[in-house]
Amino acid sequence: MSKNYDRRNFVKLATGTSSEKSDPSGEPHSEAVSSQTRSGSKTIRLGFIGLGGRGSYHLNCALGIEGIEVPAICEPQPVRIYQAKRWIEAAGLPTPKMYQGQTDYLRLCEQEDLDAIICCTPWEFHTPACLAAMKNGKHAVSEVPLCITLEEAWEIVETYEKTGKWATIGLEGLGDQTLLNMVRKGLFGNIVHAQTGYIHDLRLVKYDPEHEPWRLQHSVTRNGNLYPDHPMAKMLPVLDINHGDRFDYIQSMSSNSVMLRDYAELNYGKDSLYAKAKFSLGDYNASLVRTVNGKIMTIVHDTSTPHPRENFRLQGTKGIYYSEERMIYIDGLSPEAHTWEPAEKYFKEYAVPRQAVPPRKGGVIEGHGGGGTQTPVVWHRLVTALLENKLPDWDVYDSVTSGAIVPLSCDSVTAKSKAIDFPDFTKGKWQTRTPIMPLV
Amino acid sequence: MKRIYYTRRKFVKLSTTAAVGGAAIMSGFGFPKNAFAQNQNNNRTLKLGFVGIGGRGTYHLNCALGIEGIEVPAICEIIPKRLQQAKKRIEDAGLPTPRLYGRGVTDFKRLCDNEKLDAVICCTSWEWHTPVCLAAMKTDKHCVSEVPIVLTLDEAWQIVETYESTGKWATIGLEGFGQLALLNMIQKGMLGDIVHAETGYIHDLRFVKFSPDEEPWRLQHSINRNGNLYPDHPMNKMLPALDINHGDRIDFLVSMSSFGGMLNDYAAIYYKNKNHPLTKKKIALGNYNASLIRTVNGKMMTLIHDTSTPHPREHYRIQGTKGLFLGDAYSKKIYIEGLSPKEHQWEPADPYLKEYEHPVVRNYNPPPRRGGKIEGHGGGGTQTPLIWHRLVTALRENKLPDWDVYDSVTSSSISPITEASVANKGKPIDFPDFTKGKWKTNPKITLV
Repeated sequence: MSKNYDRRNFVKLATGTSSEKSDPSGEPHSEAVSSQTRSGSKTIRLGFIGLGGRGSYHLNCALGIEGIEVPAICEPQPVRIYQAKRWIEAAGLPTPKMYQGQTDYLRLCEQEDLDAIICCTPWEFHTPACLAAMKNGKHAVSEVPLCITLEEAWEIVETYEKTGKWATIGLEGLGDQTLLNMVRKGLFGNIVHAQTGYIHDLRLVKYDPEHEPWRLQHSVTRNGNLYPDHPMAKMLPVLDINHGDRFDYIQSMSSNSVMLRDYAELNYGKDSLYAKAKFSLGDYNASLVRTVNGKIMTIVHDTSTPHPRENFRLQGTKGIYYSEERMIYIDGLSPEAHTWEPAEKYFKEYAVPRQAVPPRKGGVIEGHGGGGTQTPVVWHRLVTALLENKLPDWDVYDSVTSGAIVPLSCDSVTAKSKAIDFPDFTKGKWQTRTPIMPLV
Repeated sequence: MKRIYYTRRKFVKLSTTAAVGGAAIMSGFGFPKNAFAQNQNNNRTLKLGFVGIGGRGTYHLNCALGIEGIEVPAICEIIPKRLQQAKKRIEDAGLPTPRLYGRGVTDFKRLCDNEKLDAVICCTSWEWHTPVCLAAMKTDKHCVSEVPIVLTLDEAWQIVETYESTGKWATIGLEGFGQLALLNMIQKGMLGDIVHAETGYIHDLRFVKFSPDEEPWRLQHSINRNGNLYPDHPMNKMLPALDINHGDRIDFLVSMSSFGGMLNDYAAIYYKNKNHPLTKKKIALGNYNASLIRTVNGKMMTLIHDTSTPHPREHYRIQGTKGLFLGDAYSKKIYIEGLSPKEHQWEPADPYLKEYEHPVVRNYNPPPRRGGKIEGHGGGGTQTPLIWHRLVTALRENKLPDWDVYDSVTSSSISPITEASVANKGKPIDFPDFTKGKWKTNPKITLV
């Protein structure tokens, strides 16, 4: 464990919350953020690295929160960095220092005095940016995937344990809190199986040179589940991964790759470079992941076929939730045997109220994911964690576990779907870490 | 090769007509279909023997007795009450009293040896399906079996070899092909090339497994085996949609099972006794099993088996390069690129399913069924089921059944292969090519 964040320190800091022990009602508490934020809170200094669609969105979120300063920003594209600069000035904050080289995030991390950096670069820079931050006394909040190799995952864990500075995918959220509440209260019994995926037709995005010109290359070089974190955000908490259970091994299988080539032929011509590229990524990838306690997770990755988005299916020993039609069936509770009923009733009964957030400064949030007028709960929780020196909702172990699906699934696909052992990043601590339930 | 009741020499002698030059004839695709494809025998009388007359056997007997020109000269069943009921049913249908074979579990052999029949309908407990099929084939009868037709790969190969040496087929031909309108759409290319299909046998059978009256043998499979124990219902949708054995074939699969124990929990509820021996009996079957299956052409299937957790029934999701279908009993949806009104949004599948109703279903106009409602497990209808009509037509016209031998054993072989994978931590297991290369040239399954 880190020096700064050992248990004693936590307990001291987290005044007003019970410790992580279960309370008499039997409800598990995570290392919860106090409901009483400290008054007269200090200013939080954030640096932004990568200011494309997601970076712009996160910057916009941050600028709407009282007490946040953005002294430094890093982005190689002039149009983007100057827009960010103008936004920061328009928010009434001092003009930020600008870092404009491809590896300038290193200089930023070395020179600036910041509480944390927000990393929204192309995937391959996530881990390097996080490591640079952690090694320079800053926490790091990254877009997903946090890591794309196992070496990166371990380096993040080791750097955290050495420096006490964390890296997190903490802006991912932890899925539907009400559903998680149902799971925690045992409505579904013990969870047996969870299934969802990232099923999102990104053919247009992959061939869009404006936005993410680097993205297509991953489909050229890699075959597996390239984007596991969104589905993992739903499944990891309900399966208690790293919090009472852990992943044991994974098996992954990909179908042939034809869709991206066909798309390129159709839109750019048979002789275009795009159409001649040899794509590795199978059009459809499915992975089965087994936990040491015997649960199963099915996680799908399909960014190439035409489809509406994924659904979520969660089966326990007492019942099942199926998001496609938002239906539930609970043994002995549902009116008709083995017949769906609308889930609404249960969602009302188990509702976890949306966490209150202070009013946002400025108008509608811009950037990729924007449109709202309220500070997103994940942003509020992140800032609170920084203010109160607590861990983010996604700690380092959970964050790298989520991202590790990428290299492990690729390895399994290459080895004819062979079972690949999942590393225990917690080194045994999964057995005693209590279940995640941030809002209850 | 555990179960050999007939030596090769003996059955070659018995199956005089069909076995002549069997190997040579078999080398060309579709021999039985073409060799006797004249319709001159359209209404000839068929003689069927029934082996195993429980819930499903009763249903099939009932279906058969409703069809003009079917005789049932022999029946075999180990439970005397069921045997007598079946006998009465046959007499009530105005047919001659059948010969009864009730001398224990292997009396089907005597039936096969003694009777001259067109085919045997086998609805025994699972472990007897292959022995009954082999006994029938080796005594010059076709055999129609409930699923699974085989429990081991040895059995699968025995069925294939026996078919190839006798010309008598074994089939799971009363399985059907799922929703034929959907298969029709797929075969017309509405979804493009198929990329992935997913369904399963998701059916809470805890009650059935503990019911001593219905299938007292069924629980034992869960005690002994861990894998996908009942693949045929989902496979009957996916195999034809993916052209398995008809242009593509299964390359390998991996299979994973969750923790078990729900059957133990259920034993305490069922017997109202927390200390009942079955609450502590070690049960091999995981509560949830999932298999990933890859074809040599790079398509994928996700196949599920869950007979223990509480749930409504499975759904079917099939994704092609142009669109996909997702449906269960509750709702059916479709999305086709460029055709569906809103980009990346579902539309109801029913209008498509209506428009693409399979001609075989649309034109189905069977002779009226004799007798009333169909009884037994699966009954309730008053019309001869399409699959029964097609089976009878195939027998009368000396054609292959809808599910030929290769497809039938492919479907059921999922079980032993998933078991082998689960037992070896999900190891990829190669799938045998029962067609020995003929999958490359076999045309798609068409029902017309």
